[in-house]
Amino acid sequence: MAAPTWHRLRDDRTARTAAAVLGAAVLAALFAPWLAPFDPTLQPDPIALRLMPPTWQHPFGTDAFSRDVLSRVLHGARVSLGVAVGAMLLSVTLGAALGALAAVGGRWADAAVSGVVDVFIAMPRLVVVIALVATFGTLSPWWLVVLIGGSGWLTTARIVRAEFRDQSPREYVLAARALGASRWRIIWQHLLPAVAPQIAVTAALALATVIPLEAALSFVGFGIQPPLASWGNILLDGTDYLTTAWWLVVFPVAAVTLTVGSALVLADRLRAVIADEQRAR
Amino acid sequence: MTPFLASRRLALALCCLGAACRGEPPAHRGGILVVSAGADAETLFPPLAMGNQGRAVTELLYDKLADIGPGLNTIGDAGFVPKLAQSWEWSRDSLTITFHLDPEARWHDGQPVTARDVQYAFRIWTDSAVGAVQRSSLSTVDSIAAPDARTARVHFRVRTPEQFYSFVYTLIPLPAHRLAALADTALHDAPEMRAPVGSGPFRFRTWTPRVALELTANAAYYGGRPQLDGVVFVIAAHGATVAARVLAGDADFLEQLSPSDFAQLPRDGAVRAVAYGGFDYSFLQFNVRDSTVPGRPHPLFGDRALRRALSMAVDRATLTRSVFDSLARPAIGPFSRTQWTADTTLRGIPFDATGAQRLLDSLGWRDTNGDGVRERAGRALAFSLLVPASSRPRQAAAVLLQAQLKAIGARVTIEQADFNAFLDRAHRGAFDALIGGVRTNPSPRGVRELWGTPGPGRGTQNWGGWSNPAFDAHVDSALAATSTAAVRSHFRAAYQAAIDDAPAIWLYEPRMFAGVHRRLTVGTLRPDAWWSGVGAWSIDPAQRLPRDRRASATP
Amino acid sequence: MRRLVARVLHAAAICTVVATSVFVLLQFAPGDPFASALDGSDVPPGVGAEWRARYGFDLPPGERFIRWSGALVHGQLGYSASRHRTVAGVVTDAMPRTVLLVGVALVIGFAAGIAIAMIQARHHRRWPDRVLGALTLGGVAMPEFLLGLLAMTWLGARWRLFPVAGLASLGDVATWPLWERAIDLLWHLALPAGVLAVSIAARVARHQRAALLGVLHEDYIRTARAKGLGEWDVLWRHALPNAIGPVIALLGLALPALVGGAVLIERIFGWPGMGLTLFDALLARDYPLVLAAVLMTTIVAVVARTLADGIAEWMAPHRAPVS
Repeated sequence: MAAPTWHRLRDDRTARTAAAVLGAAVLAALFAPWLAPFDPTLQPDPIALRLMPPTWQHPFGTDAFSRDVLSRVLHGARVSLGVAVGAMLLSVTLGAALGALAAVGGRWADAAVSGVVDVFIAMPRLVVVIALVATFGTLSPWWLVVLIGGSGWLTTARIVRAEFRDQSPREYVLAARALGASRWRIIWQHLLPAVAPQIAVTAALALATVIPLEAALSFVGFGIQPPLASWGNILLDGTDYLTTAWWLVVFPVAAVTLTVGSALVLADRLRAVIADEQRAR
Repeated sequence: MTPFLASRRLALALCCLGAACRGEPPAHRGGILVVSAGADAETLFPPLAMGNQGRAVTELLYDKLADIGPGLNTIGDAGFVPKLAQSWEWSRDSLTITFHLDPEARWHDGQPVTARDVQYAFRIWTDSAVGAVQRSSLSTVDSIAAPDARTARVHFRVRTPEQFYSFVYTLIPLPAHRLAALADTALHDAPEMRAPVGSGPFRFRTWTPRVALELTANAAYYGGRPQLDGVVFVIAAHGATVAARVLAGDADFLEQLSPSDFAQLPRDGAVRAVAYGGFDYSFLQFNVRDSTVPGRPHPLFGDRALRRALSMAVDRATLTRSVFDSLARPAIGPFSRTQWTADTTLRGIPFDATGAQRLLDSLGWRDTNGDGVRERAGRALAFSLLVPASSRPRQAAAVLLQAQLKAIGARVTIEQADFNAFLDRAHRGAFDALIGGVRTNPSPRGVRELWGTPGPGRGTQNWGGWSNPAFDAHVDSALAATSTAAVRSHFRAAYQAAIDDAPAIWLYEPRMFAGVHRRLTVGTLRPDAWWSGVGAWSIDPAQRLPRDRRASATP
Repeated sequence: MRRLVARVLHAAAICTVVATSVFVLLQFAPGDPFASALDGSDVPPGVGAEWRARYGFDLPPGERFIRWSGALVHGQLGYSASRHRTVAGVVTDAMPRTVLLVGVALVIGFAAGIAIAMIQARHHRRWPDRVLGALTLGGVAMPEFLLGLLAMTWLGARWRLFPVAGLASLGDVATWPLWERAIDLLWHLALPAGVLAVSIAARVARHQRAALLGVLHEDYIRTARAKGLGEWDVLWRHALPNAIGPVIALLGLALPALVGGAVLIERIFGWPGMGLTLFDALLARDYPLVLAAVLMTTIVAVVARTLADGIAEWMAPHRAPVS
C-alpha cells in the first residue's frame, strides 16, 4: 500500500479501533490453547454441570455437554477465523489473478473470465456449497476453505479488472511500456500496488462474509464437525436452548458481530481514505 | 363471546342436559385438530406408507379388519378390537380364519366394503412389483377366499402364535372397485393416491405437499361420526418450528416433546405433556465386516472382545441422562421395554472404565507413542462414527460417546451425513460404526430383520453384518413356538445372545411425551400408534378458535 | 436490438453452463431418491432395479443428460421421484412463493436501506449517523438464521404477534373475501420477509451511504447548495440519483443470492419456496427436480441482472458529467 494511504489510515481513529478489535480476535485465536481455561472438548460432568449460566469459574457458562463455553469460543475463533482468513486469501488471490487476466489478457481472456463470473453470480453461494458438501460428505476445514474461497472471488476480480483498465492508459504505465517492460513486470510492479487498497477493501469484506457463511453451513449441519468448535456450531447447539440458555447464543454472536463489524468498519475507512486520495490527485 | 358462540353454547347445554337425562355422555362435537408434524407423508398408498407420518394419515383414512388392543397383545386374537370385521371365527385346526365384514362399512364414496377388497389388498401387498414394505408379515397366508360379499376366509400355510396379529396389523383393505383397473406398478403414484378414498373415520380433503394435509370427518362412518370435524397436519421442516407451533397455540398436538421443549412449556398450563410409552431404541452399531474388502472381518470390530471392551467403556446412564434428562432410559438390548417379550433382568455389560482399560491392555491395545490413542500392530484404535444430520439426539449422543471413548484411548471421528446419504452408506456397509435408531412394532419378530444373519428373508436391515447362529436358532424357535411361555423364553435367550456378543452398544430408549393443548381431550395414546384413538378425541366447545370454523362445503 | 439479442444469447449460454455443471456434480453424489424407500427394507433387489429403471437411474450419466435435455427442449421438466408429481407442478407451486417472499423483502429492504442511508448522509458524523451505523453493522454481522429464529421464538411463539410459521391461517380461509385472504397472507409473510428485509436493508444502507458520501463532494452538489437548496432537497434531487447506480447493481447481485439462498428462512418459517425445494431435492438426490430448480433460479437471476444492468445504463445519461 502506498505510504500516504497507510498514514491516512493510521491517523483515522475509527480505523485504529477496528484494527485493534480485529487484531485482538486474531491474537485470541492464535493463543487460544494458552488463553482458554479448559480443554474445549472436556466434558467434566455432562449431568450436573450441564447448561450452567456464567459464573466466575465458567465466565461464559457451560453448554449441553458441560463444556466450557469461553474455551470453546476461543478455540472456535481459531477455526472460524482460520477458515475465514484462508478463504479470504484464496478468494483475493484468485480474484486478483483472474481480474488481471481479464484486463490484460486480450479480448478472449476477458470474455472467458466474464462468462465464468456470470455463471458464478447466477448460482447462490450457500446452495452451491451445500450441494458440494452433500455430494462429497462432510468436509474438513481445509476443504471448506477451498470451497468458500473458490466461490468468493467475484468482487475482487471485478474490481481488479476495472482498476487495471482504468490505470492502463495512465502515464506511468505507458512510460514503463515504452521502456520495454514486460507485461508481467507492469502488473507486478505498477498495477497491483495501485490496486492494493481496493483489494484490501474486498479482503476485509470477504472476511466479513465468510464468517456468517460458515455459521449458516453449520446450521444446516454441513459445517465444522464436533469435537472441533467453531462459532457456527456453538451457535447451532445454542439454538436448541434459545429461551433457556441465553449464554450459548449471546457470546458466539457477540464474537461474530465484533469481528465482522470491525472488518466492515476497516473496509469502510479504507474506502473513504482511497476516495480522499483520488480526490486529492 | 359473540352471539354466534353464545347461541351455540346454549344449544349445546340443552343437548347435554338432554343427553345427561338419557344417561349418555355429553356431546362435545366439532372443532378441528391441528397436528404439528416435522415431516410430510411420502405417500398415501398404504402398502408403501412406512414413515410415521404416512402411517398416521393412512390409518386415519383407512380402517383395518381389526385393531390391536390397548394391551398390545400379539398372541392369538385376545384383546383385538373389531373394525371392518365385525367378528371372526377360527377353524378347528387354526389354519383358517373367517372374517365377517360389518354390513355398515362403506368406502368414502358410498360403496360397501366387500371381501373382494380384502382379496385385492392381499394381492397388492404380496405383489413383489409393488414392493410393499411389510410383505414378509403376510408370508404365512396362503390365500383368501370370498364365499360371499361380506365374508373373507383367510387360509394360512402354517400355524404361528402371531398369525392373527401379522395378518390384521399389516393388511389394509383397499377399494378394489376404484383401483383394480390400474396396473399394480402404476398404483403408487397414481392420481388416485393423491386423493385417496378410504374406509376410515376421516376422509381426505386436501394436500399441499410439505405444507399441510387436511382430513375431514366421515359423517357416514360405520363406527359413529367422529367427535372432531376434521384433522389438519401442518408440516414444518425445522424442529424448533414444529414445537413452537404447539407452544404458541397455533397447533393442538405434537407427537414428541424434546427435553428443551419441556423447558418451554407455557407456565399457564395451556400445553400439557402426556406420556405414552415408547417403542424406540437407539444403538451404536459396529460394522463387523470390513467396509473396503468384502469377505474380510473388520480390522477392529471383527473382534468380539474389543466390542465388549468398548461397550464397557460407555456410561450409558450418564449419556441418556445428559441427552434426554429423564425423558429416556438406557437401552438393554435389541428390544424396547414396552414389547411384551422385554426382560429387564437380562445380564448386560456393565459400565466399568477401568475394567475396559484392563481388557484393552490384555488384548494388546496399548498407547505406545503417548498420543492418547491405543495402537496394536501398527493400527490405531480409531474409527469413524456415522450419524444422520437430521437427528439432534443422535448427534448429541455421538459427542458424548466421543468423549467417553477418548478417555479409554480410542479416537472417534464423527461423520454427519444427510439422511439419504446415511441410509445409502448404511446399506452398502460403508461405515465403521453408526448410530442407528429403530421404532419397533408390538411384535418382537422385527428383531429377525435387524439382527439376524444377513441372507434371504432375514437380516435385511442388519447393516453391520453381525452373525450369530445361536441367536438365529433362538429367534427361529421363538417364531415357530406355539405357547406364549415358549415364545418368551426363546426370545429372551436370543436377546441374551445378542447382548453378550455386543454387535452394538445399546444406548437409549426414549419415552414418548406428546404435547397436548388443554382444549383437546385425548384418550390413552397407544405407544405404537398415537393416532389410533383420534376418532374419539374431542375439543372443548368453550375453547373453540376461529380456525375451527370450516367451510360448509359438504364432503 | 442487437444488444438485446446478444444479452439473451449470453443468458441462455449461462443457463446451459450452470445446468450442465450441476448435473455433472450430482453424478458424484452417493444415493438416489429411492435409497430411503427401497434399501434397508425387505424389498427384493429386482423391485429396486425396476423403480430405478422407470425413472431413468439405470442409464449411464451421459445418456441420462441427453434424455433430460431433450425432454427439456420439448418443455417437459420430468418427474420428481421424491415428490410423486411432475417437476413442473412442484416448481409452479414453489416459485410464486419465493417470488412473493423475496420480492416483498427486497422492496422493503431497499426502501428502508436507502432511507437509512439518506438520514445518515444528512447527519454525517453526528449521533444519528453513528447510531444507525452501529445498527446496520449489527444487521450485516448477525447471521440471518439466528435473526429468524429469534423472531419466530419471541415475536411468534412467545408474544403471539405473528403466526409462527406457514403460508396461511387454518380454517375456512378459502371462503374469506379476497382482501381478507390477502391480509392473512401478508400477516404470515411478515416475519420471514421482515427478517430478510432487515438483512437487506443493512447491506443496502451501508452501500448507499458510502455512495452518497462519495458524491457529496462533487461540484454540482456545491452548486446546488450555493443556490440555496435545503439539505434534504440536495440529497433527494441531486445526490441520490447520482449515487443510486451502485445500489441498483447490488440489486442485480442480491437477487440470485436470495432466490436460492433464502433456504434457511424458508425452512424456519415453513415457507416452502424454491430455496427449500432445491435444498430438499439436493438431499433426496432428486435429479430432475434439482436441475429444474437450478435452471429456474438461474433464469430468474440472469433476468434480474440484465434488468438491473439495463436500468443502470438507462440512468447513466442522467448523471452529471464528471469534472
